[in-house]
Amino acid sequence: MLLEVRNVSLSFGGVMALSEVSFSVEENTLHALIGPNGSGKTSIFNVMSGIYKPQKGHILMRGEDIGHAKPHQRAKMGLARTFQNIELFKHMSVLENLLLGRHTQLQSGVFSGLLWIGRTLREEIQHREQVERVIGLLEIERWRNHLVSTIPYGIQKRVELGRALAMDPKILLLDEPCAGMNVEETEDLARFIIDIREEWGKTVLLVEHDMNVVMDISDTVTVLDFGHKIAEGSPKDVQKDPDVIKAYLGEEVT
Amino acid sequence: MGDDTLIARFHAQVKRLGDRAALRKKHLGIWREISWNEYAEHAKYLCLGLLALGLERRDRVCVLAENCPEWLYADFAIQAAGAITVGVYPTNPPKEVLYIHEHSDAKFSICGDQEQIDKVLEVREKLPHLEKIIVIHMRGLRHYSDGNVIDFHVVEKMGREYEKDHPALYEELIKNIKADDVAVQIYTSGTTGPPKGAMLTHGNMVAAVDAFTEVFKFYESDNLVSYVPLSHVGERISSVYIPIKVGATVNFSESVETVMDALYEISPTVFFGLPRIWEKLQSGIIIKMKESTWTKRLIYNLFMSVGKKVSGLKMAKKQISWHLKLLFQLGRLLVFRKMLDQMGLLKTRIITSGAAAVGPDVLHFFHQLGLDIAEFYGQTEMFGITFINPRDDIRIGTVGKALPGVEVKIAEDGEIMVRGPQLFVGYFRDEQAFKGAVVDGWLMTGDVGGLDEDGYLKIMDRKKDLLVTPEGGNIGPQMIENKLKFSPYIKEAMMMGDEGYPYLAALIQIDTENVGKWAEEHHIPYTTFHDLSAKPEVYDLIAGVVEKVNEELARGEQIKKFLLLRKELDHDDNELTAMFKLRRKKMYELYKDTIAELYDKGRKV
Repeated sequence: MLLEVRNVSLSFGGVMALSEVSFSVEENTLHALIGPNGSGKTSIFNVMSGIYKPQKGHILMRGEDIGHAKPHQRAKMGLARTFQNIELFKHMSVLENLLLGRHTQLQSGVFSGLLWIGRTLREEIQHREQVERVIGLLEIERWRNHLVSTIPYGIQKRVELGRALAMDPKILLLDEPCAGMNVEETEDLARFIIDIREEWGKTVLLVEHDMNVVMDISDTVTVLDFGHKIAEGSPKDVQKDPDVIKAYLGEEVT
Repeated sequence: MGDDTLIARFHAQVKRLGDRAALRKKHLGIWREISWNEYAEHAKYLCLGLLALGLERRDRVCVLAENCPEWLYADFAIQAAGAITVGVYPTNPPKEVLYIHEHSDAKFSICGDQEQIDKVLEVREKLPHLEKIIVIHMRGLRHYSDGNVIDFHVVEKMGREYEKDHPALYEELIKNIKADDVAVQIYTSGTTGPPKGAMLTHGNMVAAVDAFTEVFKFYESDNLVSYVPLSHVGERISSVYIPIKVGATVNFSESVETVMDALYEISPTVFFGLPRIWEKLQSGIIIKMKESTWTKRLIYNLFMSVGKKVSGLKMAKKQISWHLKLLFQLGRLLVFRKMLDQMGLLKTRIITSGAAAVGPDVLHFFHQLGLDIAEFYGQTEMFGITFINPRDDIRIGTVGKALPGVEVKIAEDGEIMVRGPQLFVGYFRDEQAFKGAVVDGWLMTGDVGGLDEDGYLKIMDRKKDLLVTPEGGNIGPQMIENKLKFSPYIKEAMMMGDEGYPYLAALIQIDTENVGKWAEEHHIPYTTFHDLSAKPEVYDLIAGVVEKVNEELARGEQIKKFLLLRKELDHDDNELTAMFKLRRKKMYELYKDTIAELYDKGRKV
């Protein structure tokens, strides 16, 4: 297994955001995390990426506890994450934003960086090539040199995905990538996510509300409700689970 | 020594130009060159690979892909094998893809990517003749289990293997290509009925290419950007066959969306524009000017009027005073140079407009900017180009003079008839249509027009589409439609006024972007196209445009009523052809009720 969440509990004052949540993400799978609003999905992401420190529990990557690592250190370890509201640099171009995603991979130091020689040059070219591959995969060639603030929302979301992908991570944490998209845009993004999994061999953990997308593309689904894990399994199984149905639709009042 | 064909000439060019760039394709953000040698190699091994798969002389092979170097390798490889290339528009919906594959009995289909192959696979059972499907970009096709789907590159590899057992085969094949052999089968647009497959020979091809290059001088250093679908005869001749003859370089953008970027980066020396492109560019400039500062607008208008004077004098072949010339150059430096550079047209020497009728106003506009667009005209059945305005003697409003070798005659009823060595040899499986199209060796173009004393052809419109004015005169709908489309607020227009209608009226489709912007500026809220096109304020706006157009028309020709379409016209919905021409007959059917509403409750002008 690539990433494991073990007995994580997180509270803010009196509010229990996560309660003894445990699940694991297998390598090269598309794992979805679903649940009603407020169930703790984004909190789990924040714990995984190091933004929140849980009161209890551990996050393990390939068996190693990464709880001590700060967010930028976790990025270096291969954990990339997108945000629900886009966290791109609005006044930089798409290309520049994607290149920034490569910063974790930069090896050459300040001095050679200043002089643009040898190693730095080679690195820059390598990074540009890698970024171009991302641009090609996500079909955003025509927006390459446009400022992020001038491009359509749907494309911004793709760039956000591309930024995470440019980091060449081992696992991608995607926080509601299809939020705010219409049917066509959602289908496109779903297709790209599948391509990322199949063509590039990445592992994807996905938080999504669009049930069609989740059921169509995921291998495993974990369901949260009020900070607890209430179900886990294949999309088909989870769909039929009575606890899941109750969480989303409520119970009949007898 | 074989016949004089483009295939034979190609090999001469390859020997001469060797490692120089024949094609360029943007890959991973950088322009990559493909030399003449590489071009030839790809074509050769693809050809041998196709033969290994069972391709035979006179077989039809469909090519269904967006413009890319592989399209050209395929076209060449197929012809070299003595087979026939059938191009299919990549925008065609499955129904049309089926029609062409079925009608042509295609043995192979070369598809660009997953999107294209899906269309073919959807109708696979209806295509018993189809043996193999070859795919250029295999992305997304990992799970396809149809055993007859093969990677393009695998076919080339097969070709290399095949050569080992048949070392002299390719040379033999090339030598045996005859000028009378059918090279390509190009389906007409089908504005009035199902598309017809016009068969054109190597001889036709050479005649067309030679005639065109006699009127326009090309150089090896010329660069073109290929953006019109290669299934269109005009694009084939301009981006494939002419470059082969003259040794020019053809550039391919990454995708349809990045064509404007490609133009800007390549700055081509030759540009074949579609009327739609010219209209869009012109609208763009008008809107940008409306939004810019007062001083900029003043300078722009000043130099536009200078440009108007200069182009007017040029066309009347009168002397241009030195101070006017100076002002013109100043205008170019201060204003137009930057504009042209942005559009990628700063270095363009040969600029044309064709494939459909263009409004003279649009051409005048660009001439004022210093872009001397030469309109041309042709038929698929004559390999795409029969008339063109010579560069130094352009007469806007005409489609120019006949190409060398092309004879023209005007029939009693005004129909234009042409003949010459470019004339096709038949419609595939439609002898009857051929008999109707070619009478005594003359091609009945279906267009009506007249020649002036210098041999310049002025076209009125399609014979079948002519409208009847209230006074009983004939008028071509496109003339008025183009005037309407000259406004940035109107994207499409269709004139009604056949026999039986009391007066001329128009169905108009607004330009979403420009009218949307206008609505925002005037604080008119709207949601969708459907909503916007029903707003009374928008009706007022368009009424203003129609009134202005009416001022330029004779009384009997004026538009009396109009109605705004609530939906954008589309190829997928059968309203337009792949090249955006109106399917008038279909439109009359689909919009029967709307047309009744137009004449009943349409907005009066």
